[in-house]
Amino acid sequence: MESILFYAFALLAIGSALLLVNLKNIARALFLFFIVLFAMAGLYLFALADFVAITQIMVYVGGVLILMLFAFMLSNKELLKDLQDSSGSFLSMPKWQAIPLALGFLLLMIYGIMEWQQSIPTWIQLSFENNTQIVATDNNIQQIGLRFMTFYVLPFEVISIFLMMALIGASHLSRKERNR
Amino acid sequence: MLDTILHILVPIAIFIFIATFTLFAVYAERKIAGFVQDRLGPMETGKYGSLQTIADILKLLQKELITPALADKILFRIAPIIIFVAVFTGFAVIPWAKDFIPANTHTGLFFIMAIISIDALGILMAGWGSNNKYSLLGSMRAIAQMVSYEIPVGLSLITVVMLTQTLNLNEIAIGQGILTNGSIKFLGFWEVNEIGGIFAWNIFQAPHLIVTYVIFFIATLAECNRAPFDIPEAESELVGGFHTEYGGIQFAFIFLAEYAMMFLVSMLGVVLFLGGWNTPLPNIGILRMADWTTGLLWGIFWTLAKSLFIVGIQMWIRWTLPRLRADQLMNLCWKVLTPLAFLCMAISAIWRILIIA
Repeated sequence: MESILFYAFALLAIGSALLLVNLKNIARALFLFFIVLFAMAGLYLFALADFVAITQIMVYVGGVLILMLFAFMLSNKELLKDLQDSSGSFLSMPKWQAIPLALGFLLLMIYGIMEWQQSIPTWIQLSFENNTQIVATDNNIQQIGLRFMTFYVLPFEVISIFLMMALIGASHLSRKERNR
Repeated sequence: MLDTILHILVPIAIFIFIATFTLFAVYAERKIAGFVQDRLGPMETGKYGSLQTIADILKLLQKELITPALADKILFRIAPIIIFVAVFTGFAVIPWAKDFIPANTHTGLFFIMAIISIDALGILMAGWGSNNKYSLLGSMRAIAQMVSYEIPVGLSLITVVMLTQTLNLNEIAIGQGILTNGSIKFLGFWEVNEIGGIFAWNIFQAPHLIVTYVIFFIATLAECNRAPFDIPEAESELVGGFHTEYGGIQFAFIFLAEYAMMFLVSMLGVVLFLGGWNTPLPNIGILRMADWTTGLLWGIFWTLAKSLFIVGIQMWIRWTLPRLRADQLMNLCWKVLTPLAFLCMAISAIWRILIIA
């Protein structure tokens, strides 16, 4: 049952991602992006990362995706025509950057598979022996919170300062000039 | 096997409940509107017009599904489903009574917040898919409003979570009555574990939560797109807002989602602030009213009664207050509710450190 669900989510993510990059209709592509993100959140659940899964939906669907849709709807129709234009052939100029990127990722993945030893890592075996593995009913949030405020307090603070900077920058950009 | 059947039966039961609730809520809304405006409301169908909404839904179900010629057909068809499913899924983590909860997860509250944001996406989908300027304007307004008002809602939820120290709605509800293991203090000084009742509710455990609840109530009213925050579907300006083009069963689903959302946020407010399924009656001496009125059926009864009471207030407000203009709406959110919610959050932190700890 669980593996069926896993493959269903994986298929959904990959299938809609493939469809997403091939779609000419940007509005539909953006809504498809929602399905990709949702399926990804479903996959996180299988890693027992329910907090990450919900954060994914909250941040990406509730924030980023809505922002993208807004940007799309407020942008000029002429501007979008360029994007929706299907005249480009397979190796037209604007797309050449994508090829080295895709090849690089492919190489990285091949390298990963080559390096992968198919046995269970020792740290997982250790936690099995000590009975410290995480199960689905554990309260992970408490753990995450404690880790954030102890082990990872510096990165956590750096991220919050970074977000603060983004906020201040955004409000500065959107402010009207007083004397004009 | 039994588990799987249960996992199918529970959503069906909740769906049936939402459908019946919507039918009678619409009737109640019309009657309240009639009362407020000094007229009778529906009177023709059935005794006192009580069959009016059933007749309406039968009409809606029979109607032809009309898709505008220039609409984006796929988005247009999917949008009502997404809107409804988003709200419907939210019911999965709300407790009806002690341990009587469809999914008892540690991330319940966070899950609801995330799920509600999908609702906004569905509305945008409906507005764009309809290919109608009124729909698009309505959905843009709806999104601007929902995204803005999510901030006071989120902050007021954090205010509560700071005190309860858990995101599990079941545990939050347990912590507000006689069944708790921790200690409950009325206004922070008077131990009321034995007495329970209304004194043990979150809003009376920490008085600043009363302000927080008002913020939460106003902000969730805006999240539901209901008057006085109904500029997304302002009939006098935008025909019908984002659902202008919808008819028949698709419209029924959007309508169902709106009422389900009303009930969802009322129930959430009840669980977080008003004691959840805990009884309002306290134990006084030998009069063990709290003990007598606690249990599975009592729990469901109290949840329903409190939530319906809040829904009633939402309707009362709808027919009493005029619609806010868009700039007033944003002013209220960003200049009044958000700073107030931040203040409450700060008080919560101090309260946690000085009084509870």
